[in-house]
Amino acid sequence: MRHNRARNRTVRTEYADIEFENNAQRLPLVLCLDTSSSMSGPPIQTLNEALREWARELHDDVSLSHSVDVAVVTFGQQGVSTWQGSRQLPPQSPDSPFVPAHAFRPPLLFAEGVTLMTEALELAMWIVSARKTELRRSGLQYYRPQICLVTDGLPTDGTGHPTDNWKRVVPVLAAEQQARHFRLYAIGVGGITPRGEEVLQAFAPKFNARLNGFPFRQLLQMMSASATAEQKGAGDEVFEKIFSQFKTQRPAWES
Amino acid sequence: MSGRVVFIGGERVVLAENPLKSGGQAAVFEVEGQPGSVVKIYHEPPGPEQERRLCRMLTMAPLGGRPVDFTQQPELAWPTAPARDPGGEFVGYAMRKFGEPEHVQLVALFSRAQRLRMFPDRADWKFLLGVSWNLAFMTARMHDEDLVIGDFSSNNVVVDRNGFITFLDCDSIAFTDPVSGEAFPCEMHTADYSAPERQAGGPATRASDDFALAVLIYQILTAGNHPFGGVLHDSDSQATVKDNIAASCSYVVRPERVVIPRGVIDPSVLPPALLALAHRAFGLGVTNPPARPSAREWLVALTQERPSVRTCTARPLHSYGSHLDACPWCARLAATGVDTFGATPLPDGTPVPEQEWGLRAVLIAAAVIVLILVVVVLTYA
Repeated sequence: MRHNRARNRTVRTEYADIEFENNAQRLPLVLCLDTSSSMSGPPIQTLNEALREWARELHDDVSLSHSVDVAVVTFGQQGVSTWQGSRQLPPQSPDSPFVPAHAFRPPLLFAEGVTLMTEALELAMWIVSARKTELRRSGLQYYRPQICLVTDGLPTDGTGHPTDNWKRVVPVLAAEQQARHFRLYAIGVGGITPRGEEVLQAFAPKFNARLNGFPFRQLLQMMSASATAEQKGAGDEVFEKIFSQFKTQRPAWES
Repeated sequence: MSGRVVFIGGERVVLAENPLKSGGQAAVFEVEGQPGSVVKIYHEPPGPEQERRLCRMLTMAPLGGRPVDFTQQPELAWPTAPARDPGGEFVGYAMRKFGEPEHVQLVALFSRAQRLRMFPDRADWKFLLGVSWNLAFMTARMHDEDLVIGDFSSNNVVVDRNGFITFLDCDSIAFTDPVSGEAFPCEMHTADYSAPERQAGGPATRASDDFALAVLIYQILTAGNHPFGGVLHDSDSQATVKDNIAASCSYVVRPERVVIPRGVIDPSVLPPALLALAHRAFGLGVTNPPARPSAREWLVALTQERPSVRTCTARPLHSYGSHLDACPWCARLAATGVDTFGATPLPDGTPVPEQEWGLRAVLIAAAVIVLILVVVVLTYA
């Protein structure tokens, strides 16, 4: 008995970041957000407000908050960072950035720095893959993860100069999406250029969009709708429908 | 700012600007000035077949015009009127609102955090047993009236503070119009509750409802553990409930086939008669629909169990089946440090408060009377 007890306690600590007393099939959701200097001012404020609203909605949605685990990746200030809810994780941190949706507290983001979009996407893919491994080891199942990339610019290198290094992830992303390892949404906002749009199209051929202004709230609601569809076991056509509704049904004040 | 204008049974109403909930197929809106009702609007024109279905449903009063008892909510969120746009086009329907905080999706019972948040101090195992009974009772009577629930899941059943349940998405049920003979199939399903034959594209049947019911009852009685949880050994592709159902792989029956979910509650918390039904449903019954226990079988087994539930002498929120000699929840608390059914464990030796019996006793008595009536009706039907 004593042996048993000790073993169980070890198990519990080891997977401490996966909520105990909840064996729901998980839905990992990664927000991969541009926080480079071009987002400063109203855009980053809008984003912060939208994250707060969304967190509240997630808490209130008993079905999503039961199963969704949220992680945030930002690219801008300090290069590429991961956030465990409102806590920015130090580089090389062993902690998982995923937080159960009902406990998700949004980060307070500042806009500064360069647009390491490629590196951010690679990090997002890596944390998704690590999370899956961790879940499988715990005998927990997962829905297809969702990654949502949001940017208003072009990928740059560490000195802020535009770079073509994003081309290296295109084949990786294509293969991963083909293998249904995750669903990627690539969203351009604000003053993103046609060149920037091309990058997003290459990343996510079906699920890319250029939105007027900074409708982060609607964007996050779309992510929730997509998560609900995933829980329902919907077919690809449903996701396309949700996405096209999101792209076309813009409030009047934005047009 | 207000939302769109629709006509509900001829009456002009204004919908809220933003939906309460929006999915792939439809969105649900509150009605300005009518807090008790909501309107479901399809994203795309629903077409004449859906309209005929709705009109036919409006003439039906399923489950015999229940409830009989004023404390109980209706068990079905049945459509109350069609919704038309100003041009007269059929766009959706109105129904009663079953919203939070009074009505909570069943899935809220499936994790400790949400049980504590939504049902503080009442969602013990005895409560869960009662919810299972209500679910089996509702399903049995739907089946007796030749209605198939079809899209049966923890998301479209809500439960109230007394453990009464209401099924929400009635517009998707499968039935045959007794007058015209037209069959209205169920087009919707939820992967985690879909029997293999439904995953393969087959129609919704009583047997597919029986599969979903078995999964739901098992989940409720184990505080949220899906019987098709776990990750197959030596597989690195998918790891979903849906795949395990398709592969007929339940750890309840064949634990050796999967990495069992960590922190799983042992299936033996189910009393033997219920566990035997679970074994049939998740073993032979997965691929052999007629072998699945019917809703009535579940109802009989649950009815037998309810009077003999025990309450832990140390912690009043710990209740368990009479087949167990000791409280399984105290054992779990000792092993994991987590109290499945309570916020704060009481120190040993704390006096145990009296159980609150008034309402429970009335409810159980009412339920037993109704059950007897149903059994009588069924016997003579």
